[in-house]
Amino acid sequence: MSVKLSDALLKSVEKPSRYTGNEWNSVIKDPKSVDIRFAFCFPDSYEVGMSHLGMKILYHLLNDRDDCYCERVFAPWTDMEEKMRQNNIPLYGLESKNPIRDFDFVGFTLQYEMSFTNIINMLDLAGIPLTSDKRSDSDSFVCAGGPCAYNPEPLADIIDFFMMGEGEEIINEVMDAYAKWKGTGRNRQEFLEDIVKIEGIYVPAFYDVSYNEDGTIRSFEPKKPDYPVKIKKRIIKDMDKAYFPEKIIVPYTDIVHDRIMLEVFRGCTRGCRFCQAGFIYRPVREKSHKRLIEIANKLEESSGYEEISLTSLSTSDYTELHELTTGLLDEMEEKKVNLSLPSLRIDSFSLDLMEKAQKVRKSGLTFAPEAGSQRLRDVINKGVTEEDLLNAVSMAFNGGWNGVKLYFMLGLPTETMEDVEGIADLAYKVVNAYKTVPREKKGKFLNVTVSTSSFVPKAFTPFQWEPQDTRENLNEKQMLLKSKIRSKQVTYNYHENRLSLLEAVFARGDRKTCKVLLKAWEMGCKFDSWGEHFKFDVWMKAFEECGVDPYFYATRRRDYEELLPWDHIDIGVSKKYLISESKKALEEKITPNCRVNCGGCGATIFDSGVCGGN
Amino acid sequence: MTIIRVKFRRGDEVKFISHLDLMKVFERAIRRARLPIAYSQGFNPHPGMVFGLPLGVGVTSEAEYGDFEITDDEMSAQEFADRLNLQLPKGVEVLAAKKKASKQNIMATIAASEYIVIVGTPVECNQKTLKVSIDKYLSQKEIVVKKRTKNGVKDTDIRDMIFDLNFELQPCGDFNIIRFTALVSAGSKANLKPDLLIESLCGYLGFEYEIDRIHRTKLFVRSQDQLLDPMEEVV
Ligand code: SF4
Repeated sequence: MSVKLSDALLKSVEKPSRYTGNEWNSVIKDPKSVDIRFAFCFPDSYEVGMSHLGMKILYHLLNDRDDCYCERVFAPWTDMEEKMRQNNIPLYGLESKNPIRDFDFVGFTLQYEMSFTNIINMLDLAGIPLTSDKRSDSDSFVCAGGPCAYNPEPLADIIDFFMMGEGEEIINEVMDAYAKWKGTGRNRQEFLEDIVKIEGIYVPAFYDVSYNEDGTIRSFEPKKPDYPVKIKKRIIKDMDKAYFPEKIIVPYTDIVHDRIMLEVFRGCTRGCRFCQAGFIYRPVREKSHKRLIEIANKLEESSGYEEISLTSLSTSDYTELHELTTGLLDEMEEKKVNLSLPSLRIDSFSLDLMEKAQKVRKSGLTFAPEAGSQRLRDVINKGVTEEDLLNAVSMAFNGGWNGVKLYFMLGLPTETMEDVEGIADLAYKVVNAYKTVPREKKGKFLNVTVSTSSFVPKAFTPFQWEPQDTRENLNEKQMLLKSKIRSKQVTYNYHENRLSLLEAVFARGDRKTCKVLLKAWEMGCKFDSWGEHFKFDVWMKAFEECGVDPYFYATRRRDYEELLPWDHIDIGVSKKYLISESKKALEEKITPNCRVNCGGCGATIFDSGVCGGN
Repeated sequence: MTIIRVKFRRGDEVKFISHLDLMKVFERAIRRARLPIAYSQGFNPHPGMVFGLPLGVGVTSEAEYGDFEITDDEMSAQEFADRLNLQLPKGVEVLAAKKKASKQNIMATIAASEYIVIVGTPVECNQKTLKVSIDKYLSQKEIVVKKRTKNGVKDTDIRDMIFDLNFELQPCGDFNIIRFTALVSAGSKANLKPDLLIESLCGYLGFEYEIDRIHRTKLFVRSQDQLLDPMEEVV
């Protein structure tokens, strides 16, 4: 039975087309013709979720199976949620409008920690028991994957099983196992027993955790000897052969990235020590430019999109960038498709390229030096020097650009007030670089924007043992910077740092933090990453009521010996390597990138990509 | 340069998307169909398309119009329509297409629109008394309503914007379903939204009511003193 969405109800909410489906290239099947129904849930708004490439890939991958019908589910905006609750409308799949509690799987993609309360809210709206111990044989299996799954513990009570690593690899194996299990009459537990044998599957309920008196973890043990002690992430070895859909859904309403997104590679060779993505996606694996152009052509044909963007962690590191961009520009020009190039390293080639690519407005160049001094940039292993930056902006100013955005982080390990002042100095050096450019060459008015965010230590980085800076310190640093930046040509933007405290808790949280999530949700928290819905005081109350100290997770320094909540997950990069990187950071020593010199992080076990056979 | 006028339908599947979004739907369908649409010059080239009067959110229609400028003078209107239809999402469908001779902008010439509005009311009524009351409503010299504009709410006289108003009564259990057919002013000069008319009428009748659905059946352009079907005007 489909849910009944009356016109009057839809007319009363903002952007009703978020809830009605039927977009071009969405897949409609007869539910009766399939064995497996999968609700792919993105725990944020339609606009954010639809911009996510991973969801698009897995949606089509599952739907390409004849035995499976995968539908999309997003978090209804608060106005819609209210109407759904008033009218007893359960959370439904966008394609069939059937309640997702009748589906076999309800799967969440975990992109950022602050979407966790939306997961709980969505389960509640669906009418699915919130914790795995309350679910019975008639309930859907609740699973999850994505970057935040690398520390799954804050969601350990909620999710039945996690899929570690790249979903394209593992999800088909799970579906095959399910197809075999379904109809055999074996129970829920037995299905989980089946799939725990698949590499990359983590079933939290199969493990016991005990704690020391100081609150740290004493032991983490499988309940049965045949459950894996370490759960190893799955990766795609050959990106050219990896599944990629020839169609993508074209939404009706504006979404965040309303264009073809071309992922040129996975991973990053740079090894910035704060960057979780840089470690969890190791090793770097590229697609060939030929395959990328083929994909671009197919997607352009099937979507009618007028823009293509290249997305990867540091796109300008792509070895075939030249062939790819010139190839794309050639093919797409007559089709009137724009190429948008995010965050390229600036050299004469990329300037020329930007000149040619149509969408780049001459005002928008962005750089991320991340730290204000060379010392601190060495600590974080950001391989950018002041000279590099100034050369690049001078070149850009000479080419007529007149706007520069500079991104920094405050609260990085070892940061001093001097480092913070260095941010202002750097901004003024950029202003000076502009002054030396001959007037006829440069744009009319210079606009330098300095943005700072607060550093959040993440699992599986060399900084995973580091304390997060206190909010007091961060405020002081922001104020200092504000007082140092007094120029019409420089604007300073900074983020409120209360959210980063919570991010820090859940990025390195253990199973005890799960209670807090449930409590905070119960007290009304959801859409936490949306400023207008973020309720810091309520969160603090939730911590208090659960007897959980947020600062234990956020601002405590860990010993290298401590058993970390995510130590049972194996991302390929060894703990030994992370420790050596952590020590090198404190010694202000840099580590060259993987292409210059393999640092021996351990990712060779995947025998693929930059460090593998090819 | 050739301009093709297209008449299309907008069904339930797409009635909740905005006018702007609908234009994007056409733009992308045209690209997928590889139709030779003309693009404007400049930094941000736009496809040459002009649409008729935007529909309200939630309203369906069998009488939407758009003018498309193409660079291939040889292409027939039928081919244009056929290729476009293959690429349009469910609910949007080209019903007719014709090459257009005049340069008249469709938007500028729209004058009237006909809607069917289906209203439910728990109020007891019969054909005769209802007819008398509606006649009385229409015989007023002035019908003032509160119209929401960009600058707040404004009193507006809509009497001259109502060209024709008929109804059919269909009793349905405790409920009466009234099916109104309304021909009203449309376009940039004077535009009467059907829901506003029904609100005013039911207010006058003292009826509690609920609009079940609104559907546009016709759109007219003005040529001299005549109201014409936009597909007729093009020849
Ligand atoms: S094994 Fe070497 S080349 Fe491979 S990801 Fe690690 S450091 Fe880089």
